[in-house]
Amino acid sequence: MVELADWIAANAKTIALWCGALATFAIYSVLYAENKFYRLFEHIFIGLSAGFGVYVTWSQVLEPKWWQPMVHKGHWQWAFAAVLGSMFYFMYSKKHAWISRVIFGLFMGLSAGLMFRDFYEIYFPQMGASMKPIVGNGMSFWDSVNVFIFYMILLCSMTYFFFSFEHDSPIVQKSAAAGRWFLMIGFGAIFGATVMGRMTLFIGRLNFLVIDWWPSARSAWQFRTFQGIVAVIIVALVVWIINALRTRK
Amino acid sequence: MNILEKLQTIDRRILYLLIAAVIAIPLLQRPSRHPRIVFSEVKNAYTTLSKVPKNKIVIISCVWGPGTRAENEPQTKAIIKHLLMEDTRFVMLSWDQLGSQLTYEDAVEIGKQLGKRYGKDWVHLGYNPGPMYAIIRGLGKSFTGVFKVDRFGKKLKDIPATKNVRDYRDIGAVVEITPSGTVSSWIAYFNQPYNVPLVFCPTAVMSAEAYPYLDSGQLDGMLNGVIGAAQYETLIGMENERTYAAAAAWALSCAHIFIIVLIVLGNLGYALSRRSAPQRGGGRTG
Repeated sequence: MVELADWIAANAKTIALWCGALATFAIYSVLYAENKFYRLFEHIFIGLSAGFGVYVTWSQVLEPKWWQPMVHKGHWQWAFAAVLGSMFYFMYSKKHAWISRVIFGLFMGLSAGLMFRDFYEIYFPQMGASMKPIVGNGMSFWDSVNVFIFYMILLCSMTYFFFSFEHDSPIVQKSAAAGRWFLMIGFGAIFGATVMGRMTLFIGRLNFLVIDWWPSARSAWQFRTFQGIVAVIIVALVVWIINALRTRK
Repeated sequence: MNILEKLQTIDRRILYLLIAAVIAIPLLQRPSRHPRIVFSEVKNAYTTLSKVPKNKIVIISCVWGPGTRAENEPQTKAIIKHLLMEDTRFVMLSWDQLGSQLTYEDAVEIGKQLGKRYGKDWVHLGYNPGPMYAIIRGLGKSFTGVFKVDRFGKKLKDIPATKNVRDYRDIGAVVEITPSGTVSSWIAYFNQPYNVPLVFCPTAVMSAEAYPYLDSGQLDGMLNGVIGAAQYETLIGMENERTYAAAAAWALSCAHIFIIVLIVLGNLGYALSRRSAPQRGGGRTG
């Protein structure tokens, strides 16, 4: 047992690389088709995250900031935090669910109050910044053109959202139609950025495979292990295909 | 089945493999060339952090975890490297349980490269569960009232980097590195009330929504995903180093060109096959 622990400690980095690669392949296998290999690793990831989260929450938050002051430093008032926190769990009891509503109501009221502050601190400066001068203040011709385009897009986009009256006037109709186009261009930009973001996440995983794992996998015993795993996967794949063909017949 | 019809019936799994191959080439080749074009928001972020007085600290707030490591880690590393090169002290906060360890390891790695010491040049405060607005609001009024110890349980008043930090007056800038919409908490409860500069490092998905904040001056700079990180590396003198951000920028460009070619080919095939197909009644649908 001690020898095994020593071996794991000595090869911790390699084992982590192999686990990472195996998990990456498992998660991306869903791109081929939904499968149990993917499901297994999805559950493993959720379980690991939850377990590690509990550990970190205790070791970095609850233990130093709540337990230690309450038990060892005489700050007994922290016990009330536990009472308030535990009130959330009464939502699982039909008889005592009202207790959880007290604390939920408290937090809802707090959030609603905070929204006022959020709104004026975030949107009021933006409204103020939208009122830009078109000329003057040392602005060049192109600065003025830039501000003019800004106003045109702003007014057209806002016209599109006027729902209080019919869009009968041709000016309103045309500007609302232009506003819809500007919005579509904006959504297109957001979608493009989303594609870029998702692609970057894939690049991150691929980078791990080709830069971190593959050079490691090619060395000595690791490469033999890799060959063994590939052989097992190929055999499993062949068995699965034969089985699928038989079922189809 | 002619070539036009085949173009529209390519198995998506073949496309996935082709994209993987297209992306793998720049990653394997590891080009050192960084983007020569640097966006104005990235330049502004660089200028903002360069101007932080040496007697003040910078707060690096990391909301990211392993899920967006590919985008947020290069940003984090570039910012840390810049601050350490400038001899600007910084404090790291993490709002993600798993990200707490990752951000700490990043700072340790770069600190070792530049010969900087934990405690003297930087401090990590560990994981904070929130609520974010309460902590942000509180640290503006009293830094040590909210944070008493670092991630190892050592008192902040005994750590050289943080012993003189009282409130917002000792904080020179905030860097928010996040994959979610948390920047509004910093704007509403810290940067607007106390007029402290804020640099935003979102994932690419979030970046399009941040431009109104930049226009209104609520943000002082932004690093847009991994491209922003690569551009920031250019500014801090890493333009000839073979970094992940540079390789990822190239890989992204290749992937985007490939996707555009596929879209053009698919639409071309669709348009030509419609033209060659016999006309049926009904015309346009949908």
